[in-house]
Amino acid sequence: MDRCKDRENQILIMGIGNEHLTDDGIGPKLVGDLQRKSYPIPLKFQTAFLGGLEIVEMIDGYKKVIFIDAIRTKDGIPGSIYHFSPSDFKETLHLSNLHDASFLLALQLGKKIGVKIPEDIDIIAIEIIEDLYFSTSLTRELEDKYPQILEDVDKLLTELIACKSET
Amino acid sequence: MKQITIDPITRLEGHGKIEIFLNDDGDVNNVYFQVPELRGFEKFCEGRPVEELSSIVTKICGVCPGCHHMASGKAIDAVFGVEPPPTAKKLRELFYMAHFVHSHIAHFYALAAPDFVVGPTAPAAERNLLGVINKVGVEIGKEVIKQRRIAQEIQALLGGHQTHVVMNIPGGVKKGLTEEQRDDIVKKAEGFIEFGKFSMKLFQDVVLGNKDYVDIILNGPYSLKLHSMGLVDENNKVNFYDGKVRVVDTEGKELYKYSPRDYMEYVEERVEPWSYLKFPYLKKIGWKGFIDGQDSGVYQATPLSRLNAADGMTTPIAQKEYEAMYKILGGKPVHATLAMHWARLVELIYSAEHCLELAQDPDITGTELRAPLGKIVGEGVGTVEAQRGTLTHHYWTDSKGMVTKVNLIVGTTNNNAAICMSIKKAAQGLIKKNMPVTEGTQNMIEMAFRAYDPCFSCATHSLPGQMRMVLNVRNQEGELLQTTRRG
Repeated sequence: MDRCKDRENQILIMGIGNEHLTDDGIGPKLVGDLQRKSYPIPLKFQTAFLGGLEIVEMIDGYKKVIFIDAIRTKDGIPGSIYHFSPSDFKETLHLSNLHDASFLLALQLGKKIGVKIPEDIDIIAIEIIEDLYFSTSLTRELEDKYPQILEDVDKLLTELIACKSET
Repeated sequence: MKQITIDPITRLEGHGKIEIFLNDDGDVNNVYFQVPELRGFEKFCEGRPVEELSSIVTKICGVCPGCHHMASGKAIDAVFGVEPPPTAKKLRELFYMAHFVHSHIAHFYALAAPDFVVGPTAPAAERNLLGVINKVGVEIGKEVIKQRRIAQEIQALLGGHQTHVVMNIPGGVKKGLTEEQRDDIVKKAEGFIEFGKFSMKLFQDVVLGNKDYVDIILNGPYSLKLHSMGLVDENNKVNFYDGKVRVVDTEGKELYKYSPRDYMEYVEERVEPWSYLKFPYLKKIGWKGFIDGQDSGVYQATPLSRLNAADGMTTPIAQKEYEAMYKILGGKPVHATLAMHWARLVELIYSAEHCLELAQDPDITGTELRAPLGKIVGEGVGTVEAQRGTLTHHYWTDSKGMVTKVNLIVGTTNNNAAICMSIKKAAQGLIKKNMPVTEGTQNMIEMAFRAYDPCFSCATHSLPGQMRMVLNVRNQEGELLQTTRRG
């Protein structure tokens, strides 16, 4: 499982979702825009479609990982940004996989079988409106809010990275 | 009328549920299995060049993207009136075998094994892949993850990406295989075969070695006498990538064998007002309702159905296991829903063996990767066996190859009526009047549909997520009497 020694000191930013399903792909969209910005330390950016066991393999060996995913909560305000860690995890749209393992189970499983699960895991979740309609565009409301969402996620990301750099 | 609600089955509130209605005597009266629908796929495709679809359809579903890519590629070939050269066809199949290995390993260890290795009524917190590893050992857990990952690596090598596959182009594939890459796949395929054999032995030791489990499989409320559908080759052997669709009746006698392009003559879809998901049935028999038996129009297209519909497997170890399964289960066809898990393992071995055969084939490193395109025909059908059942893509285009219409019949949709009936039968057999519905009972009802490994990402275009269950027991006034939660 010692697949990448060069991952040891790297931070992975992973956007998860389907960009063909309206707001569902806001995670990958944000990652696409964030990787054009500059940060004080080098970051690795990646996108994925679904979680579960797939996630375990993708994060294997990284020092830290920050997931960016969509979420739908009851009465949630579209565009709201939430920050979770695995200890207070709320189910986002893609971190679990119905066909193999939930996110938390996948992390436990990874540790059990010797996968190098990152010491620090953060989850940034964005409240969305529509994820059941095929479209490569965001809903109008989220599109309008997107510049602010990007700015806020960028700021949060910078804080999380700085926090890590100090430790 | 009393009502039991299991809601939701995806992580999203209200996105999928099982409604169980009890009569005034407390017996199960009816069951409705409901899932939501993604909308706008056909419109999303319309007006696009048809060759784009093979990449787009991989994003319908992250669970079986390779299946959609293959069915789509074949439909696009048909639109362009072209047959891929032997090397391209074999490369596609090689990719596809790795896709099956990956998927069947995940299903067996993550979804099937917990019910048997950990136990059908064990606490839900333990009844998962981690619970399986706690029972069978960490080394086996490592092997599960390793073999699954290796299968993904082969898909990524051949398909350009393990999930967002970009392998197929009209009339062929984008890139070939070097001798070095082929040698590597040969070694990996040999590992798949050993792991397939090990998994079969684990199943036999744990399940067949336990009288209670055998009793559940054979005599539990999990059996449906339905017709069986699957793709077969010219010798009526199981084939996942190509061939004709064969349907056998409840006694195993051939009803139909047809070219996939003629599917509309044999399969029709019914709409029910309470479900977004359609209910395909055998057109020539007609829709007779949610009933099983020889007169029913309902069929199954599952791993077990594929084996029922065929005369055998083309590879030696899988054939031996195929024969052993039918011998132990009393001959063909088998109608025990939970035997799908066994059939899936026979298929795992077949996929591994065929992966090795293809990797060793001299054509596999050939350089003729694409055939010249023919005249645009304007319509094309592509059918493959997906892990969850027969998958058909049907495209219509204008004279320039721009999409005008799309129709998909996916594995889970084929099995929609059967899934509803299986859940109803399990609920009727397991819910006892005046007895609370325990978590164990709830799980044993779920086992009825879990055997199908239903995937609603493409069937209804719902999205995969954590299995979360809430079961409410209500009296006839709708008052909540009991709630159990999981997930």
